[in-house]
Amino acid sequence: MLVDFELIERARSGDDGAFNQVVQAYRKRILGTIARLIGRPEDVEDVGQEVFLRLYYSLDQLRTSEVFEPWLYRLTVNAAYDYLRRQRRRQESRMSDLSEQQVMLADAAAGGKRSEEEQRRTRIRERVEALLGKVSEEDRILLMLKEVEGLSLKELEKIYRVNENALKVRLFRARQRVLKAFEAESESEAGSAGRTNAGAK
Amino acid sequence: MNRMPENEPNAKWDAALDKMFAEFRAATPDPEPGADFMPGLWRRIEARRANNLWIFRRLAQVCVGATLALTLLMGAVLIPRLEKAPAYTTSYVDELAADHPNTYVDVFTGDIK
Repeated sequence: MLVDFELIERARSGDDGAFNQVVQAYRKRILGTIARLIGRPEDVEDVGQEVFLRLYYSLDQLRTSEVFEPWLYRLTVNAAYDYLRRQRRRQESRMSDLSEQQVMLADAAAGGKRSEEEQRRTRIRERVEALLGKVSEEDRILLMLKEVEGLSLKELEKIYRVNENALKVRLFRARQRVLKAFEAESESEAGSAGRTNAGAK
Repeated sequence: MNRMPENEPNAKWDAALDKMFAEFRAATPDPEPGADFMPGLWRRIEARRANNLWIFRRLAQVCVGATLALTLLMGAVLIPRLEKAPAYTTSYVDELAADHPNTYVDVFTGDIK
């Protein structure tokens, strides 16, 4: 816990100052989680504000201060899920606006300005984004929380409100789907690299 | 996470995926919130509060209007009916006597005959 229970109790009872302190304690962590869940840095603050807005109007429904963190994570997951669903709907129209060549030119122009380390990070982010873009929002969020955020099964149980066995099955299936996409992507990359090398010889 | 036995041949891919997730975690540190984060949040809270108040006020207006309309309607329909309702012209005792014309109570003995 980043704050004590007494502060959460005060925030629950309508103390705006206490709520402000709670937000300040958790905002960086929540923004980081959102950044990794949604993959669009420009929208992270907007989704983060939505999470804390929902927190403000739902704090009175919190049973005890002990379950505050899972509650906050649940709100974060729901807000990220809503965002990703909206984004998926918008994506089709946005992609049709730009030709593939325009997208590549814009990427190349942006890439030239970045440092090598930043380019490497960007490549990793894009690779994970591309990979997770091939599975459902549910799988993406569940795997991110487990594999990237490092949440334990106990914490995930509290967030998702399901028992451990059901959660294990969901995690296993989600990981299998991502693994399948990962294998296919890696093999196609290896294939295209092989063809490029053969062509160069 | 526990791996199922049938996935053992996939250990290579599992390890590669874990490595990629770890690299991704390292490549995406927690961002610093912008200067406008807190003011922006409070603006949204206030906007929602105002919106909720507006909705509540509107709902209250609709409820009051509907109650008033229902009262007027009930008044318009029921009052004329009540006014036209037939008044009782006979008493309970008269009605009983009419139902049992051959029966009477002997006032001296109290017997019903």
